[in-house]
Amino acid sequence: MNAAPTISTEGLSRRFGDLLAVDGVNLHVSPGQFFGFLGPNGAGKSTTIKMLTGLLAPSGGRIEILGLDLGENPVEVKRQIGVVPEGMALFGRLTGSEFLNFAGRMYGLTRETAAQRSAELLEFMQLADQRKKLVTDYSHGMQKKLAMAAAVIHGPKVLFLDEPFEGVDAIAAGTLKSMLQGMIARGATIFLTSHVLEIVERLCSHVAIIHKGKLVAQGSLEGLRAGVEAQMSAGAGDDMAPMAGEKLTLEEIFLRTVGGEHRGEQELSWL
Amino acid sequence: MMPRPGEDLKPNDAGTNEAGEFRARGNPPFPAVPRRTQLTAIAWLRWQLFVNTLRTTRGQLELLSRILVSFFFAVLAFGGGLGLAILSYMSLSSGKPLVVAVFFWMIFVFWQVFPIMATAFASTPDSSDLLRFPLSYSSYFLVRLAYGAFDPASAIGSLWTLGIVAGTTFAKPSIFPWALLVVLVFVAFNIVLSQTIFAWVERWLAQRRTREIMGVLFLVIMLGCQLIAPLTGRMGKGARPGLQRMVEAIVPIQQAFPPGLAADAIIQAIYPQILTALSSLGLLCAYTLVIAYLLHVRLAAQYRGENLSEIAAASTRAQAGDLRPGWSLPGFAAPVAAVLEKEIRYLMRSGPMLFALIMPMVMLILFRFGAMNSARRQVPFFAHTPDLAFPVATAYAILALTNLVYNNFGGDAAGIQFLYASPASFRDIVLAKNLTHAVILAFESLLAWTAVALLYRRPSFAVTIATVAGLLFAAPLNFAVGNLLSLYSPRKVDYSKFGRQRASQLPALVSIGVQFALVGIGVSAFWLASYLGNFWIATLLLLALAGVSFTIYRVILNSMDRLAVEKRETMVAELCKG
Repeated sequence: MNAAPTISTEGLSRRFGDLLAVDGVNLHVSPGQFFGFLGPNGAGKSTTIKMLTGLLAPSGGRIEILGLDLGENPVEVKRQIGVVPEGMALFGRLTGSEFLNFAGRMYGLTRETAAQRSAELLEFMQLADQRKKLVTDYSHGMQKKLAMAAAVIHGPKVLFLDEPFEGVDAIAAGTLKSMLQGMIARGATIFLTSHVLEIVERLCSHVAIIHKGKLVAQGSLEGLRAGVEAQMSAGAGDDMAPMAGEKLTLEEIFLRTVGGEHRGEQELSWL
Repeated sequence: MMPRPGEDLKPNDAGTNEAGEFRARGNPPFPAVPRRTQLTAIAWLRWQLFVNTLRTTRGQLELLSRILVSFFFAVLAFGGGLGLAILSYMSLSSGKPLVVAVFFWMIFVFWQVFPIMATAFASTPDSSDLLRFPLSYSSYFLVRLAYGAFDPASAIGSLWTLGIVAGTTFAKPSIFPWALLVVLVFVAFNIVLSQTIFAWVERWLAQRRTREIMGVLFLVIMLGCQLIAPLTGRMGKGARPGLQRMVEAIVPIQQAFPPGLAADAIIQAIYPQILTALSSLGLLCAYTLVIAYLLHVRLAAQYRGENLSEIAAASTRAQAGDLRPGWSLPGFAAPVAAVLEKEIRYLMRSGPMLFALIMPMVMLILFRFGAMNSARRQVPFFAHTPDLAFPVATAYAILALTNLVYNNFGGDAAGIQFLYASPASFRDIVLAKNLTHAVILAFESLLAWTAVALLYRRPSFAVTIATVAGLLFAAPLNFAVGNLLSLYSPRKVDYSKFGRQRASQLPALVSIGVQFALVGIGVSAFWLASYLGNFWIATLLLLALAGVSFTIYRVILNSMDRLAVEKRETMVAELCKG
């Protein structure tokens, strides 16, 4: 029996003037999934995640989060989700500790709980010794960790992350990954966009690929892999085909799905 | 080790491996890039950057305004040059050579101060961005000097100094080559000094803490300038004016500094004291070299790739187990208290905003002491009508809050996404922001009342109550209009930055209109009360109006959630701009 989806969209679309940035997207993310949302630059990933988190109004379609219609119950939905948007949404003139306290209070935590969790999160994110520094003075990686801490301070059931690993070093990325995996283990659902396909491949159980505003693939990583391999075995002499016994990487699946081409050696021969 | 001037440095990342073996297939080894090619490319870059600004209508309007400004500069440069030529000639002919020193000082001050005022603490564009290219250190140094040589201050200053050369040549034709040489060194000194100042100011502005200290210092200097006129006015009184004594003391001292030395080199050559003239020019050259060395120290550090990261600079003083809960506000929801706390913290960390908020007090002090010391008006402005001082200071306090009230979310910048993503209602968020403004206004009014009581006399009870009634009328209406405009025309601002930040035109115009209307109504009520000889009439009128304005405020506040959702795209797009 399939559980009711945590995130579901029907015919979700968004138009910017003449440009149809998101075109009739139907997404289904089940509870407890670590879901990767992929696409080339300008495919509509950030637009979609903004609509899913209430930062952007859809031009058409419907969004349900945790069984609630986002258009009708925005506050109830927001209470149960956490978001790290594209620009991280930090308040630069607060200290790290003050910002987390503020975030906790905005999500309705008591003063004491907010303070307690802030301290724990700063400790976990290895930012405890920086707690009195202004957020604007944090490095990019530290800001990412802080944004992530603010997004989870209220213990959300669903977490939306737009490029959480962009500009983050290996140590910080490790910290973030372990926290996210911990959340999944406790039953949360995570929806992330990332350009770093290796990370998505390692973390995500399910992925969807958006290309030119349309959803071109969706499912478990294994399912997508099997689909692409079946396509490949139907057409012979493919130079992107893996060696016998090797699995297709997510990058290969991605390139196959969005029709990406590797440039030949004849171009830029002077390099 | 720091390189010596003239010595070329190797860039940080030269682009080849240790053995210098990297070579693309079929390519010859990397050739040396001729300096001329690079300098031509940089000149082209500057030109192209200018041309590309014309692609937009705003850029074209900008060009129009630049043409007008250039015309103004041309008049200033040529007119000033001609004027200085005539004045130099006259002063030398009439045996008052020291006046030439005053001209050199004027030019010097203009040359160094004008670029700072004109750029309002903006950093020199793209000069350090050039470091990614294989630019030699000497080319980099030259580029920085060239940036300085082609700015309006240099052009105007150079023409003015040439005016002095012309004047002295008319007074004594044989002096021309010497005067030209002196003036050329003086021009070089000024160009190098202005670039040195910029390079060091850039260094200090690169870090938040030093930037804020610089900003406060700048404002203190500006405030100090406001008090110069009253002080000199006071010095001008008495049998032997203090100003004259000061000038007599300054004359020998100024001769030891570059503008004085430049003047001295010319004057001594006229009379003629060749050795003294030579020594003055020699000292001027020495000053130029020392300043050039300071510039070199800074540019060499930039060239090597210094780390001005805030991470390295900021101290870490956190102590373990330091749990501090946020504020609570009895009777209000948690988000209201959280936003209020955030707003107050932002305000306390914003030097420019704090400065704007103390301005009403500064104005009271200036009115009090400025007027007292001026030559024409012996009695302070408000001394005739001290009852007006408190309402006027309070009205000024409302004006000082305009930037905050009419652009509620400007300082939140990318944080606006957090507010939208959180479950807090915008009604609560806006209410908290308005509460902050109300607290500031109350505090300011209290300060103004105290300042008026100390500087003039204690405002009467009736005037105090009428002013409070005026506040109760003006503030909610101001907040209501401000809340609407904050959603309809948001503009990202950095309240930590001093200097001009482009304001949104619509809120600026509307705020002026609203302030005029409010002040007009307030003044009418006070005038009527004063005419009838009873300030309680003003109180009653203003309290009745306060009821109306509070109702308007409530209606608009209750529509905030709906409007915020309607305007979310504009808000996020505008406030999250890079």
